[in-house]
Amino acid sequence: MRTIPLASALWYNKCVDLLTVSVTARESAGEPYTLVEIAGEADVTNTDDLRRLLEEEVAQQPRVLIIDMSGLRFMDSSALHALLRVNRSLDRQGGVLALVAPQAAVAKILRLTTADRLIPVFGSVAEAAAG
Amino acid sequence: MSWDAKTARRGPVAQDAAQEALTGPPSARPGVGAPLPPPAPDAMSYTYTTDLAAIRAVVYRHATEAGLPEPRAIDLVLAVSEVAANTIRHAKSAGSLKIWYDAEEIVCQIEDDGQISDPLAGQRQPSLDAMGGHGLWIVYQVCDEVEMHSGEAGTTFRLHMKLAGRRAR
Repeated sequence: MRTIPLASALWYNKCVDLLTVSVTARESAGEPYTLVEIAGEADVTNTDDLRRLLEEEVAQQPRVLIIDMSGLRFMDSSALHALLRVNRSLDRQGGVLALVAPQAAVAKILRLTTADRLIPVFGSVAEAAAG
Repeated sequence: MSWDAKTARRGPVAQDAAQEALTGPPSARPGVGAPLPPPAPDAMSYTYTTDLAAIRAVVYRHATEAGLPEPRAIDLVLAVSEVAANTIRHAKSAGSLKIWYDAEEIVCQIEDDGQISDPLAGQRQPSLDAMGGHGLWIVYQVCDEVEMHSGEAGTTFRLHMKLAGRRAR
């Protein structure tokens, strides 16, 4: 049996944080919304951080919270649960969650779990803000 | 190929195991799922603790090298990552990943010291309200074949993806 050291490959770069999240307050046609941009890879090793950050935003009681996933290469089921929780919390307080531009791997897990039927998915932030 | 993976499909294996788990006396239970034959001798071997991104990268690299089409390579990455995430959640020591392939299929075997008592784990679709259980369900959805053996020594998952006769999903 050969043992091979983990080499750098497409989805692995030691120099880059696994997950980066940025939050900005925006406006579309006079309506405010919160834009959360998630980039990198979201999995069980950083779900707690992601959940905490999203919960802080939910606590601000936004009417619309848009998550731009275009920079997210990967998402596992624990990160998905964090999104489902956010969706439920927002729903309870009369807010709306929208997802934007999931890449192939992220779109796959959303589709498999039918989460994409529960949470609206848009092609762009502009569409999500208008929708 | 030096071993035969074609004999065990996931449905019958799981049912047999379920039957075994229900009817056998506790002392005689051989664990959940049929014991697996050894991996191919030329399997590539990795260990992991919390470095799931690295594990995903090697799976993706080998899957594309083996000729698995991009969407299916992504499926395999998703499946391996979910099983390995279980290691982080439930096992006490590092996990092991072995990858091998031939002209027909690529196989990823993930082993850790955790135990799974439910032979049907991952084979029922959890509701979206359930705050867990999606991981293994995804594994069974995306892979062409899943073999699982769990006992006192730990749990082994063997995930198969066919290279010939591609299935569209």
